[in-house]
Parts: sequence; structure tokens; C-alpha cells
Amino acid sequence: MVQRAHVPQRVVGRSLPRLDAFGKVTGKAVYGMDFALPGMLHGAVLRSPHAFARILSVDTSQAQAHPAVHAVVTAADIPTDPAAADWREDHPESRRMADTEKPPTRYGDIVRDNTLLAKDVVRYVGQPVALIAATSEEAAREALRLIRVEYEPLTPVFDAEQALEPGAPLVHPEWEKYEAPEGMGRAGNICSRTRIRKGDVEQAFATADFIVEAKYHTGIQHQGHTEPRVAVAAVDGQDVLTIWTCTQLPFNIQNTVSRLLDRPSGTIRVIGLGLGGGFGSKLLLGGEAFAAALTLRAGGRPVRVLIPPGEDLQDGYPRHPSHTWLRAAVRSDGTLLGLQGRIILDTGAFSGSGPGLASVATLVLCGPYRTPNLDVEGLAVYTNKMNFGPMRAPSGPQAAFALESLIDEIAERLGMDAVELRLKNLVSEGDLGPTGQVLTGVGVREALQKAAAAIGWGEDPGPHRGKGVAVSWWTTTGGSSGVYVKLNPDGTVLLKSGAVDIGTGAVTAGAAQILAESLGVDFEDVIIGEADTGSAPFDYGAQGSRTTVAVGRACMKAAEDLRQQLLELAGELLQAPLDALRVGEGAVYRVDDPAIRKTLAELAEFSLEQRGGLIGRGTFIAPPTLYDESTTTNHFYPTFHSPSFHAHAVEVEVDPESGEVRLLRYAAAQDVGYAINPGFVEGQIQGGATQAIGFALTEELVYGPDGRVLNPNLTDYKMPTIADVPRIEPIIVESAGPYGPFGAKGVGEPSVLPGAAAIANAVARAAGVRLRQLPITAERLWRAMREAL
Amino acid sequence: MSRRVVSLDINGHRYDLEVEPHRTLLSVLHQELGLTGTKQNCLEAECGVCTVLVDGEAVNSCIYPVMKAQGRQVTTIEGLATKAGLHPMQRAFIAYDAVQCGYCIPGMIMSAVALVAEHPEPTEQEIVEGLAGNLCRCTGYAKIIEAVSAATEEMRG
Repeated sequence: MVQRAHVPQRVVGRSLPRLDAFGKVTGKAVYGMDFALPGMLHGAVLRSPHAFARILSVDTSQAQAHPAVHAVVTAADIPTDPAAADWREDHPESRRMADTEKPPTRYGDIVRDNTLLAKDVVRYVGQPVALIAATSEEAAREALRLIRVEYEPLTPVFDAEQALEPGAPLVHPEWEKYEAPEGMGRAGNICSRTRIRKGDVEQAFATADFIVEAKYHTGIQHQGHTEPRVAVAAVDGQDVLTIWTCTQLPFNIQNTVSRLLDRPSGTIRVIGLGLGGGFGSKLLLGGEAFAAALTLRAGGRPVRVLIPPGEDLQDGYPRHPSHTWLRAAVRSDGTLLGLQGRIILDTGAFSGSGPGLASVATLVLCGPYRTPNLDVEGLAVYTNKMNFGPMRAPSGPQAAFALESLIDEIAERLGMDAVELRLKNLVSEGDLGPTGQVLTGVGVREALQKAAAAIGWGEDPGPHRGKGVAVSWWTTTGGSSGVYVKLNPDGTVLLKSGAVDIGTGAVTAGAAQILAESLGVDFEDVIIGEADTGSAPFDYGAQGSRTTVAVGRACMKAAEDLRQQLLELAGELLQAPLDALRVGEGAVYRVDDPAIRKTLAELAEFSLEQRGGLIGRGTFIAPPTLYDESTTTNHFYPTFHSPSFHAHAVEVEVDPESGEVRLLRYAAAQDVGYAINPGFVEGQIQGGATQAIGFALTEELVYGPDGRVLNPNLTDYKMPTIADVPRIEPIIVESAGPYGPFGAKGVGEPSVLPGAAAIANAVARAAGVRLRQLPITAERLWRAMREAL
Repeated sequence: MSRRVVSLDINGHRYDLEVEPHRTLLSVLHQELGLTGTKQNCLEAECGVCTVLVDGEAVNSCIYPVMKAQGRQVTTIEGLATKAGLHPMQRAFIAYDAVQCGYCIPGMIMSAVALVAEHPEPTEQEIVEGLAGNLCRCTGYAKIIEAVSAATEEMRG
């Protein structure tokens, strides 16, 4: 195990204060919630009270007549309808391209099964049915009550395992008609079926000394961002529809709105404002398409649509609940011979990100282990609940909970130490992953050993106390990122990208530091531009822990481009050959006589007036990761690019009287490749671990028997407060990734992955009974302890 | 609904407004005064992003009736920094990397300022109790505790 001390560079590798901190501590920073335009109207959403019902009629006439109402929109008004031609004729003010095709009826990530507003059928309580824009929020909500909708209830299905049984109600009876890629294994309520198969599991189980098998279940965790979802839309004098919103991915909003409203994407501009937490939820539509539809209906007048937390907790994109069956074939010395399993992601009423995540889940379910024989399936299944979706490391914590609980159950069966068992089976540098990718930068053993040592693994914690560990691995999502870098005449540098800093510091620290390092300027001289689809290059979004890596590498390329322009201009002005010059310390100077120089400011000023300005451009797309295609079936995510590895270790105390779990110590180790900004890397580790604590112990959206969420408020949906968490000790491990800037790998998501399993494993030791369902609430643990007596 | 006159002292500035009497302090800060530094979220006093000081005490402005602020001194995040510079609490939050998305930060800083006024040498337990009404989803709170500790040391001189 190579242990290297962290080596800071001039700018990179230092815990510099982020560039947007001043605005955030003074209240100057403008978030989505703070944005307003004069004359703005306010939107409200009418939602279905039924989990599954036919819409027989919608009568908006009374609402339209309300004096404060300026626009009413239902599914009939949106061109996601076969009668779209009529819509076009009714709306001559909207621009069309000459060769516009028949507009889509439905949208979706992979399976096109969703509509913006419910048409003909509602499939979950809370599904949007109609929109209103009025002169105030109060008036809009009042007017909602004037819309008359007639429903004919149908029989819903709420449990994903029940949804698989023959004769279960079909959430989408017409599923075969939906646009979807070939070979997804779709059937009835299954909207995706994916598999990893390697070696011969039958043989492994036939020759095993032990077979350990169990089922695990996880609950619904909401992103819980403290800033609600909100968007303002308006149409300007050039017929450009602008949407100001707190989004993690402006380009997805632009694309989806374009598709939904049948409007060319060039006439839609999305501006990403400051964002108060996203954690995946703000990758997808919140109020943006609603505001867009309403402003078009209201003659282009600005419309603001706010989705209050009470509604978002019923109609957001929280983490998929899961049901996992898993069994392992084990040799008596602890070697994992084979793993067989199936993870079901309950994807709710629409597929959304479910199909892609069912694939991701299978990789996490195999874990960072050398197990040679694998047969692991991932399913995304429809139920009549809200559309579950991307939440920080989506599908990861669910799969990791199952696998890492089972690993501990194996250790218990064998009488083996849980850390030793893992070390025996974990991958090492150069090993193959579950689908045959070659693994490099494998810091998992270091992470596990350091985390375990930090909580005194091996020392008896005492009565009612227990220690637990868990490991996991994750990806650095690919996708492209482009940046423009503009040198200003004062020597400052504008970093213009389509990426939003969602709070991680990936742009306002990470990428900015990488740019400053690469260009030889001071970090404080970098200015971050607005994430505006109208003027910024494409960015695949703040998702999948990709931003520092992708935007950082794009900045390095842009810096290279700019350096070349600087050398050429300085060479001309100084009458020197390019190889006699160097760029650094804010200037271009002669290597043999540094006093002969032009500062970047001087060059920028000259160029601005005489040459059109010094602007560098860079784009980064992650190189493909090779793997063995014979191992995967219907798989959307066959490899983890530049994978990271993580290990959490916790010590807990259980109160036998109440079932409450108290966290005494928590160490979270994460292999980040190279810490571009150690302070903010620690912040990600601590923040993600805290979400893992919530996922493990207290957070759960609970559905009642009629398909209604029972706790859509912040009193009853319990996220950890400062009083609920210990000081989480972040441990940074650096095992360089294959292509990230300075060896960096994705950081933002992983820390939410292994925490729940580590806690569950610790609780099992402390309480003497193992829970295989999350969250481990005090009530559940108390009952389990009593039953075990 | 008829409006009533209310005279407010916000960050040392006086505002005479006519508002409907049921209005909350938060909604007036945002709509009439354009002071959006104080944040809005749950509107039911559960998350603390709306925390301001009224006569030095931390209150959830989302449920605080604006009429009740008459005759009292209200301090929002915009009123912390002076011409001399940022408040030590603001500087500490920057220096200790306690700011991520930042949405909870104005409320968190105001609660911390109220805490220190009451406990100039707070123990970690007192810091935890003082900030227990401020939800943060990003940081895991550790660096916030470090920042508050460091600021209180500086403020003690």
C-alpha cells in the first residue's frame, strides 16, 4: 500500500476560500428564490388527489373568469398531444422551423412515457393536472379551486414486488407504444431489465462451503435542499423565451422545454442562478416548463412558479426505494466465489432515470471485490407513486446497503473479522471490475484500513455499543464540458462555462484553481461567468461527481489555447521567437532575460483593441472505458469511469429502552485521486456522510394506503440537524485517476454510499439483532430487539 | 383586506410601510424592502433559513408577524458587515470552508451571532444547542462548528 503525502501546487491542492463565499455570507448572492421581474405573475399547480384514475373531464372556465387570472394551462394546451397541429394554428406567435416534425407526445430520459401535465390518466397522488398564472400566489391558489376535474378511480399498485406479479394493475397499459431503445427488457410494469453475468455462478454455488442469502429494503429519501424549486420565465422582444432558474443542468432544461413545447431550442435560453442545494433533484424539470407554458399563454409576461417544499415532498424526484435479494457463495477461508442477486428499483409512475439507474445499481451491487462469478440483475419497476429519480449517487446507497450488509453477515457466519474478510476479497491495482474494466487508482484498501483504525477497530466498545464498516465504489460521470476563458485588460480572467456550482465548490474553487494554475495567474484574479445556455458552451451538468474533473480539464485545454495565443502575440510585439518565451507569473517573458516581458494585462489590452481579444477555448470529454461486452445485457452503464473507492467506519450506541441509535464516532475515508481543494473535499465527505446518516436512521417519505404521502413537511420528514450527528472525520486518500486534472477523480457523491451499511453493521453488533430495512428508526429497532428476546 | 401602517427599524434604517396586518416579517423583507439575503423555505419555522435578529434574539421571520416588529430593532444578514469590513462570524465562515451552497448560511450566521451574544465563550454543546434550529443539508455541520468556535475566540479579543 503506497501512502503518499498530499503535495500542493502553486494554486491547486490548496484549501483556498471559494470565490463566491463573500456573496454567500453577506446575502448578496442571488439564488433562484431571490430572482424577480417587474410585473411578474405567479403560478400554481393543480395536482391529482388520486393515485390512479382516468380523467373524464377538465373544466377551467370558472378559473379563466377569475379577475386575477392571466393564464390557465392543461394538457390540451401543450403540444404533447396528437392534435398538435391545432395547437400550432392557435399560437402563431410561437416560432417554428420550416421542417418541424410532428411534436412528441411524451418525454423521458430513456423511455418516453411522461407528459408535462396529466392527459387522460393520472398515475400518482400529486401529479400535475393544470397550471394557473395570476397576479399573486394567493390568487393563483384560490383560482386552482375553481378548476373542476372529474375522475374515475382505477385500482392502483403501490408495491414494486407486487407490481411484478401476474395480474397486477398495469401502471402503463399502453407501454408497448412508448418510444424506447430496443432491448431494454421492458414488459408490463418492468420498464427496464438489465444484467451482469460473468463466469459460472451455478458452479460457484455448487462448490461453495457456505451460502449466505438475504433480502434488503430501503426507504424513500428526499434531496431535502433548503432552497425550494423555483423558476421565472418570460418572452422578450426577439421572441426568445428566457428561463431563470436554480438548475444543475441548464442545457437539459433547455432541451426538455424545447421538446415539450415544440419550440426550437435556439429560441429558449436558460440561465442558471445561484442554487441552494440540488443533490440531483434540480437536474430535471421543476417549475421551468410550467413557467414557460404559462408565459407563452400570458403573452410573454414574466411568470414565476414556486414549488413549495410540501409539494416537492410529494412530487419531487427522491431516491428510488429498493428491494434487493442477494446471495453469496463463499469458501470457508472467506473467499467470495460467486454472487447472485436482483435489485428492484421502484421507479414510481414514470420511468425517468429508473432504467439507467437499474444498470448503475448492478455495478454497485457487485462491489469493489474480485468475485469471479457473477449473476446480478437490476430492474426498474412502475408503481403508482411519484417519479423517483436522481439523488446523490442514485441507486448507490441502496445497492451498497444490501451488499455490505451481506458481507458482514458472511463474516458473522464464518466467524471472521469483517475488515479482514473485506481485505481478502477487495480489488487491487490492475484487477478487473465486474464487467471486465481494468481498475487503476485503486485506493480502497488504504481507505478501509484508515477508516477502521480511526474508530479503533478491534477494540471492544463495551455494552450496547458496536462498530461497523462498509466499502463501496463509484463513477466519475462522463459527458462533455466546454469553457471559454477570456483575458481582461486588467489581467483578470473570465471563466465562462455552462456549469453551475451547486455548492460543492467544483467551479468556484476547483475548476477556477485549475485554471489559475494552468494560466499562471492568481486564483483571486479568476471571475466566474454566468451559466447561460445562450452564451456559454455546453456542459453536461453538475451531476455524477463530474464537474471539477470535466470543467477542470476543459480549463486546462482553454489555458493551453490561450497560452499559445499569448506566445504568438508577445512574440510579435517583443520580436522574439516563440521558443524563447515563457508564460508565467502573469506575464510572457524572455527565458534568457525575464525583464523583457509583456504582462497578460498589456497583451489583453492590446488584443482587445487591435485583434479582437484573447479568448481561449477548451472542451473535455472523458475517454471511453473499455470492458468485456459479453458480461452485460441491456446495460446502460457498463463501466465506472475513473472510479473512486470509499470506506466508512462507525461506532454506535443503542439505547435498549427506546431503540434510539447514537453515533459516537464516524470516520469517512474517500479515494479522491488528488484533492484539488482539500477543505472542500472534506466538506463533501462530511456532507454526504450526514445524508447517509439520515438515509440510515431517520429519513423516509411514508406512503399511506391510498397512495398519499403522509409526511410531506419538514417536521415529519426528519433530516439530521447539528444535534443529530457526530463530528465526521474525513480521511482523504489519493490514488491517482487515469485522466482527471492532477489525477483527481469525482468527489461529490460517493460519501453518501457506504454510510448506511456501516451504521447497520454497527447497530447489528450493538443491538444483537440485524435490521435489513432502512431507515433503522428507533421504533423498528426497538420492535426487532423485543422480538429477538 | 385593509392595510395598517407599520414603522420598522431594519439594520438601523427606518421604513414606514402600509401592509396587510397578517403579513410576516419575511415576506415584507422580500417584497416591500427587496432584502433577499434572508431566505425562504419551509414557511413553518422548521428549517431556520429565515432567521433574523429582533432586539438581538434569533427569530424565524417566516412566522413572525411584521406588526410585532414595530418598535423593535431588526438585524438581517445585510446589516452585519460594517464599513470597517465583514463581521468576524462572516470572516470565519469563509476561512473555515463552512460555506457550500450557502442557502442556510445567512440564517446560520444570525443564529450564531445571537448565540455568542448570550454565550461569549460557548462550549461545543452550547454551539450545537444554539444552532439546532438551523438545517444545513450540505456541510454535515462540522466546519460550521469550527467557524463559530474560531469567531467567538476572535470576538472575545
